[in-house]
Amino acid sequence: MEDEPKIVIGDRVLRRQDLFQGEEAARRERAKSPFEEKIRTLVHLQKLAYGWGRKKDVIIWEI
Amino acid sequence: MRNTLKVLNELREKGLIKDYAIGGAIAALRWTEPFFTQDLDIFILLEKEVDEKGLIVLSPIYEYLKSKGYVWKGHWIMIEGVPVDMFPADPLEKEAVKQAQEAEYEEVRTKVIIPEYLIALFLRAGRDKDWRKIQMLLEQCEIDRERLRRILSQYGLYEKFRDFEEKGYGR
Repeated sequence: MEDEPKIVIGDRVLRRQDLFQGEEAARRERAKSPFEEKIRTLVHLQKLAYGWGRKKDVIIWEI
Repeated sequence: MRNTLKVLNELREKGLIKDYAIGGAIAALRWTEPFFTQDLDIFILLEKEVDEKGLIVLSPIYEYLKSKGYVWKGHWIMIEGVPVDMFPADPLEKEAVKQAQEAEYEEVRTKVIIPEYLIALFLRAGRDKDWRKIQMLLEQCEIDRERLRRILSQYGLYEKFRDFEEKGYGR
């Protein structure tokens, strides 16, 4: 995509595709986190869904 | 979660179940980045699979949990603040439990179904949310392709997997 505008962050010039690839790499890294850390993140997500998402039927786990 | 797993281990120690493993979204989350989910799916192996009438009897398990003060919330049983669904394992799930990986959660031993079996189980369930989890597993963790192919072929799921791939998932 030659017409695609480039994104400048500090001294780096990136394309959207570079950002997507970086995001994918970060996801694979997060997948390697300890189980306990992921469960703590899950509880944060449950709290977010309960509060922000106003899903009052969401059960927030006790860990 | 820690205390929930301790209770599940207790069920095994008391002989109410032969073995168990964590499945569903929480097992997937063990292998992928975190995502939202609500319940803890547990696949159980029973000492006695069916009674003389051919019924799967889970009553002793639930009686025991009830005696400890755990209550029902919808289809879940709330164990130490975590909604749990317990499924008596069918042949594919039994193999998944037997092959599950030993893991520790805050120093409590447990077992988690490995990605290759999770993919087979999600493929069989076949809902959109299951397909999304398959995609995450394929993208974010190491998959033993040969093992996956063997499981899928053995349980008649290989065509479904090809369909999944042809629709642009898992690339």
